[in-house]
Amino acid sequence: MSSFMSSVATVSVVYAVLIFLIALYAHQRKEKKRSIISNPVVYALSLGVYCTTWTFYGSVGKAATTGIDFLLIYLGPSLTAFSWLFLLRRIIRISKEHNITSIADFISQRYGKSPWLGALVTLIAFLGIMPYIALQLKAVSTSFNLLSGARPSATGFITVGSGTDIPTGLILALVLALFSIIFGARRLISSERHEGLIAAVAFESLVKLVALLAVGLFVTYGMFDGFTDIFTRFRNSNPERFAQLFTINTSGSNPDYISSFTLLFLSMSAIMLLPRQFHVMVIENSHEQHITTAMWLFPVYLFLINLFIMPIAIGGILTTGSSSNADYFVLSLPQQAGYHGIALLAFLGGLSAAAGMVMVESIAISTMLLNHIFMPVIVRFTPRAWFPVLLINLKRFGIVLVILLGYYYFLIIGDSYTLVNMGLISFSAAAQFLPAMLGGLYWKRGNKAGAISGLLLGFLVWLYTLLLPSFSMSGWISKTLLSQGPFGIALLKPTELFGLTEMDLWSHSLFWSMLFNISSYIICSILITQGENERDQVHRFIGVFDKKELRPRTEQKRLSKPVTTEQFVTLLSKFIGESEARLAFKQYSNGHVGTGTISEFELPNLKRFTEKTLAGSVGGAAASAIVSSFLSDLGSSMEPVFDIFSSVRTNLDQNRESLFVRLKASEIINRTLDLKVIMDDLLTLLVKEFKLDTALISTRTDEGIFTITSSQGELVQQQSPPAWYLEHGPFIALAYGDQKTHFINDLRLERAAPPLDQTVAEGFIASAHIPIYREGEPVIAVLSLFSKSIAGLFTQEFIELLASLAGQLAQAITIVQEVDAKQQERSQKEAALLKTARITRDMEIAQQIQKSFLPDAAPVIAGVDIAGRCISAAHVGGDYYDFFLRGDGIVDVVIADISGHSVGAALIMSEVRTLLRTEANSTHPPQAVLETLNSQLHDDLSRAELFITMFYAEYNSATGVLCYANAGHNHPVLLRSGDAFFHELDADGLILGVKKEVVFEEQSIRLVSGDVLLFYTDGLTEASTTDGELFGTTRAYNHLKAYRQLSAAEILDSFYAVVHKFTGSQDLQDDISMIVIKIL
Amino acid sequence: MRSLLAQIIHRLQLRESWVIFFILGIIMMTFPFMHIFNQPVLLFGFPLMFLYLTVGWAISITVIYLFMIASRTDDRSAAEKDEP
Repeated sequence: MSSFMSSVATVSVVYAVLIFLIALYAHQRKEKKRSIISNPVVYALSLGVYCTTWTFYGSVGKAATTGIDFLLIYLGPSLTAFSWLFLLRRIIRISKEHNITSIADFISQRYGKSPWLGALVTLIAFLGIMPYIALQLKAVSTSFNLLSGARPSATGFITVGSGTDIPTGLILALVLALFSIIFGARRLISSERHEGLIAAVAFESLVKLVALLAVGLFVTYGMFDGFTDIFTRFRNSNPERFAQLFTINTSGSNPDYISSFTLLFLSMSAIMLLPRQFHVMVIENSHEQHITTAMWLFPVYLFLINLFIMPIAIGGILTTGSSSNADYFVLSLPQQAGYHGIALLAFLGGLSAAAGMVMVESIAISTMLLNHIFMPVIVRFTPRAWFPVLLINLKRFGIVLVILLGYYYFLIIGDSYTLVNMGLISFSAAAQFLPAMLGGLYWKRGNKAGAISGLLLGFLVWLYTLLLPSFSMSGWISKTLLSQGPFGIALLKPTELFGLTEMDLWSHSLFWSMLFNISSYIICSILITQGENERDQVHRFIGVFDKKELRPRTEQKRLSKPVTTEQFVTLLSKFIGESEARLAFKQYSNGHVGTGTISEFELPNLKRFTEKTLAGSVGGAAASAIVSSFLSDLGSSMEPVFDIFSSVRTNLDQNRESLFVRLKASEIINRTLDLKVIMDDLLTLLVKEFKLDTALISTRTDEGIFTITSSQGELVQQQSPPAWYLEHGPFIALAYGDQKTHFINDLRLERAAPPLDQTVAEGFIASAHIPIYREGEPVIAVLSLFSKSIAGLFTQEFIELLASLAGQLAQAITIVQEVDAKQQERSQKEAALLKTARITRDMEIAQQIQKSFLPDAAPVIAGVDIAGRCISAAHVGGDYYDFFLRGDGIVDVVIADISGHSVGAALIMSEVRTLLRTEANSTHPPQAVLETLNSQLHDDLSRAELFITMFYAEYNSATGVLCYANAGHNHPVLLRSGDAFFHELDADGLILGVKKEVVFEEQSIRLVSGDVLLFYTDGLTEASTTDGELFGTTRAYNHLKAYRQLSAAEILDSFYAVVHKFTGSQDLQDDISMIVIKIL
Repeated sequence: MRSLLAQIIHRLQLRESWVIFFILGIIMMTFPFMHIFNQPVLLFGFPLMFLYLTVGWAISITVIYLFMIASRTDDRSAAEKDEP
């Protein structure tokens, strides 16, 4: 016997080593990134952890005692599989996105990362599952004893021949704890997959199936002649029992289908909600697509594993004659038939069923314990360097705790009612998660208060109506509680609550717990509003498949004080170790920004990433608490971004407010070309729409000083720029320089460099400087906005809007400037033209006046033919000639040339004329006239820097004497009758205006009939051709000689004609004045 | 025949089909149906209830298998469109 026992022990050890090697292999494959676990079949097999020893041994027992309704426990999960494509996929997607570590974490995260909810779920799971673990340990040690023939003592120790006690249960518990630690708690990160563990579980599922199929085939076809043989023989031998086992709940006269429905319902919930199921299904899922295979493969697994249960049970009854000890028919039937090999296989199957369940369950529960029971305490302490070590060891401790408590439970309860029914009691506990879970996935309004109250009430009802009676039936507490109710109140009897009788224990408990759970969940959810955290999470959970949610969400929160990446790394290091933290951030920064400076808008993402990474190790609630306490230690906190735009968004990734502002701005810009108006209106719009306190536009002068071009808000009333504005000079200069927006969202917390003390003192808390420029062009001006009330005003979205407005403004400014420039050019041209026209007109008038100064006609004196003419080159000229008739037959002739052709010359000419006219009335000789004129004109001429050449002659027709004096003028030429020579008239004298006192010589000559005298100005002789050839005196004299027969006027005409002909032009270079005196 | 199968598979892509079969499954597991088969008799040598549950189970697995094929042939985007 003992040799067989040792062989069983040896096989067990070998099997354990095999499992270990498989797990190790899978783990190594994972390290090499060549996972064998990432496979739909393995995934489906790992779900087989649902089948524990309760299935392996208990199903046969249940089939043999209560009948076929045990199948409902496996039909339920098969039905649930229909919903997996939607339900499970959703849960997995959410869990991956939030690094969820357990079902407690899932429910807690959904309801605003509530630590209380996490703790509550953990507590329910812990209490509900621990006896279930005890059941596994019990089953394995019982089966070991059965197989090896050892007699167990009351304490579960088996006594070997030598008298040594071997605690099989304890050894098993310790081995399983070790396995669980090795493959489930090697690293702290619980959200990552444990491939070794899953490989072991999947392999164990396979062993379970093979073992049960082997036993089934052996019983059905080895011991009997197939299904029909077993069933027919059974009916024939015991028709009553047959009727009982193959119908459902026919114990009463009226069949009761409520209990079968309860079984169905409980198993349907349990397959998703038991902590270990959630763990293998969700946390260990490597690919969403594996669901589709598992959906049919897992039901196939359940189908196969249950196919032979009924035949084994009936076979057992037929063989042993009773259903006592039916729990171990799987083991005892082949053993009694002498097939130890099959029995050993069956034992290994049972061992596998227990091991898989205990390992996964203990890991799942220990994760929950760590994250929701230990962590909330730990986060109250300042993180220390040894935290990672503490945490991982706490997790390991949790595993050992769960398994050892299970073992302890097994020791003290032993073979009681509780243990046998623990499976269903656990299912009922897990079913309490259903409302919070389903509501959390599909009902937006479902809130934390509802979840906590529902779970708590459901849990309490479960405790009272199910756990308490089971304890009572086990004899732990007085049975009077069951029969009479607490304090003798019959209405409160745990199994007949509020007088609800004639219902089986499970249905009764399920009904009341679900009633309280669901109604409390719904009522509280409707009555109490969700907190902000909750609402955030609702969107993330329910909107997980929402395409709109896929695009980056606009940040709703900001960090009031910037935190560096390094600080986050340090924080993370304290919980998961430095190397893990660095690795995580490296991966993060690959997809995002560098580890250097990060923008304010990136910070919330970084914070969320830190939280998520941490959540993968310590759960969402604790991670959230850790990060917020870390931030508050730094003096920073998440504060709501001032949502300048409401959350209503259009399809254009815009929102109404933003569109409205853009529309208004473009209206303002297009309404006018007056920049001042545009700027003022735009600033007014910004101030009004965004509740700013001051908005202004600064420009840089040529000296590099910033001046306020336009301002709205508080600054408007002030005359000179206030001191606080001047503080912003460097920021404005910066915006000018790098063409970037510079903003400070909270002046009180962020230390601006250079400091902005005056601004802060003034009460401003947020400022932004936005450069106004067109793409690729220098900055034109800077738009500055200031707020006294809203910290965190300048969100990324707002800055983008402002930058776009600044761009529009820059465009408008450029357009206005271009228009202005064109306008200015045009008006300058017009002004110039106007001026020229005015001058021309003035000159024409001056010419007219000047012409009128010249004598209209020569005086008529008997015996003399006089003609004079002046043709000016410019509009006003410097030539002058005149005649003064004095009494009988005496005429004064004057010809002068004033230097220059300016208006000044013309004015001097008029002065000369006036003076001469006065002088002419006197009887002074020419020489005296010139002397007087010179002294009178000297000052004026020297002031105007002009000179006058003048020839003055007085002709007495009675005597024929011509007296004359000359002030530097061209000598008149006299052509005497009958004489071929030219006589030039000359007299000494200086040009007028050179000296004050000048003595002029007076000459006289007697003219005779036929004499022709020509006075002229230098315009005549200096008239030139285009080649520069001068007309010259010779040509003039010859011309006079040739035309001397003509009348004086005709001689003048001929002169002008010949000069025009000579120069080849109608315009004269210089004035030409001539006087011809012809003595008749 | 082939087109009929294709049509069935197409219908199975609808979310409604899943819900209908799910509810149908639950109905089959409760009162009226269970009552019909709740007889202590043998049919082809199998107890009626055993036969009903086993065959029904096998059928349900076949249906899920068809669903799976349908969901695989289904365009992934269409599946996500159905998702609320």
